[in-house]
Amino acid sequence: MTDKPAISVQDLTKDFRVGLRGVKLRAVDHLTLSIPRGQVYGLLGPNGCGKSTTLKIVLGLVPATSGSFTLLGHDSASPEARARIGFLPEAPYFHRFLTGRELVRYCARLSGVASDRVDAATDEALELASMTEAGNRRVGTYSKGMLQRIGLAQAVVHDPELIVLDEPTAGVDPVGSAAIGKMIQAMRQRGKTIVLCSHLLGQVEQVCDRIAVMDRGRLVLEGHIDEVLAQRGVHQISVEGLTPAARQAAEEALSSHGAHVLKVDHPRQTLEDLFRRLVTGSRD
Amino acid sequence: MFSRIFWIARVTFLEALRQRFLAFLLLLAAAFILGSVPLRSIDFGHGELKFLADLGFGALFLFGSILAVVLPAQLLYGEIDNRTALTLLAKPVGRGEFLLGKFFGSWAVLGVFTFALTGLIGIILLVREPDVVARAMALQVVPPEVSVVGLFEHALLQWLRLGIIVSLALLVGSLAQTFLYTVVVGSMAVLASQLVWIAQDTLANPEAVLSTLMRGALWLTTRIFPNLQGYNIGETLVLGQSTVLPGTVSSLCLSAAVYLVLILFLACTAFRRREI
Repeated sequence: MTDKPAISVQDLTKDFRVGLRGVKLRAVDHLTLSIPRGQVYGLLGPNGCGKSTTLKIVLGLVPATSGSFTLLGHDSASPEARARIGFLPEAPYFHRFLTGRELVRYCARLSGVASDRVDAATDEALELASMTEAGNRRVGTYSKGMLQRIGLAQAVVHDPELIVLDEPTAGVDPVGSAAIGKMIQAMRQRGKTIVLCSHLLGQVEQVCDRIAVMDRGRLVLEGHIDEVLAQRGVHQISVEGLTPAARQAAEEALSSHGAHVLKVDHPRQTLEDLFRRLVTGSRD
Repeated sequence: MFSRIFWIARVTFLEALRQRFLAFLLLLAAAFILGSVPLRSIDFGHGELKFLADLGFGALFLFGSILAVVLPAQLLYGEIDNRTALTLLAKPVGRGEFLLGKFFGSWAVLGVFTFALTGLIGIILLVREPDVVARAMALQVVPPEVSVVGLFEHALLQWLRLGIIVSLALLVGSLAQTFLYTVVVGSMAVLASQLVWIAQDTLANPEAVLSTLMRGALWLTTRIFPNLQGYNIGETLVLGQSTVLPGTVSSLCLSAAVYLVLILFLACTAFRRREI
């Protein structure tokens, strides 16, 4: 069973009927995709490209127009499959009057965690999401970053094999976003399969093993992150203390071997790295 | 399965208790019932206790019906619009379990509403009873008597009646796409159920001249909609204005149970096909 992919989608199509005349809108167009186990898989694409619809179909929340799919080798409607997945939807809303701990306990009970394990599972999930201290506050008082983190805690409280995160960092500041990135890394180290939908391409690049890019409901690119990003014909060398004379000598040496220097400039750090270095503490 | 339904119902109940709409309707109904006390002299010749009971039971049903249509619709659409339903339904929670949790949570709130208002009506009737009895004795007429058991039976029947309305609202909500549509169509279904006795009486009248089509339409109406007017026996139960046939209350309870099972089955079936 374990050699089967975490998610397998075959020739999946989803049409929505919109307007009074029922005009057909194709959200997912003959999509075939296989997400292997034990990896962080990024599902990317612009707004309206069909990412969330694909996930909803796979999770059994929306029926497909045509095509087939399995979740951990099972029909997605089966309780066996659902008990082994965790899901954080985009911009989640939770019952504001519950405390974070009560919410996670509620989700643990719905996910089939044994009664004698509920408290321990809740503590573990809150700890993983760095929400232990804020666990006794009402959800209505949480910041956006904390809402996402408590959403993550409810998604993992039953120790699922597959965790689906739809825009987990939407609206979260870089510090909160980095914290969520660390949580994803921690879950990968525990052997979980994580499917990540995100617009934060920098984060996707850092945490994902494989990515798929969708556009207008179709799959336009799929592969290992290093393979799809590497420019095989170009190399990059970082040099310290490069004088004009040394540069000229290097260029001549490379030229004698048939290589050409395309660009010489100073490496830049990302704005996100700079921000995170300057703003070290979380305001949550 | 029962555990999941219980937990969804529990959270639904707690959420509903925090709704301002519930507090507003509860206060409005209580004010209406209390407001009938100073107006008791305008009893239209039917007796003070009957006047107070009529207004009280009327307020209970009117505001209870509004709550029974709006509350489940609000709770159902709130969870769908806010994506809480996505989070819950991605777990090993069946759609039927989710809907039944919503039903029992809403119905429990209506239980609080019904028994709280019935308690208030009971207190008013019991406080006024000695004066009314003394006046009746002075006039040498048979005094009315407030039955506490009858009050409880009436509250139970009203709770069941409101349960049928909640299930109707959830059935409409399972098919509809908007909150407003659910409230409008749900209210119309309640009105039809409240008036279905007219169709029953017409069909039972041997002198009524009806075309086959009309007879068929009336027959269908009586089969589709539950007769909510049939639960309107508060005065008889509480004040003993007329005799209640033995087995009437249990027969109404059984009928309500059958309707609840049927309507909830249809609602769960419709909700399974719904896109979230």
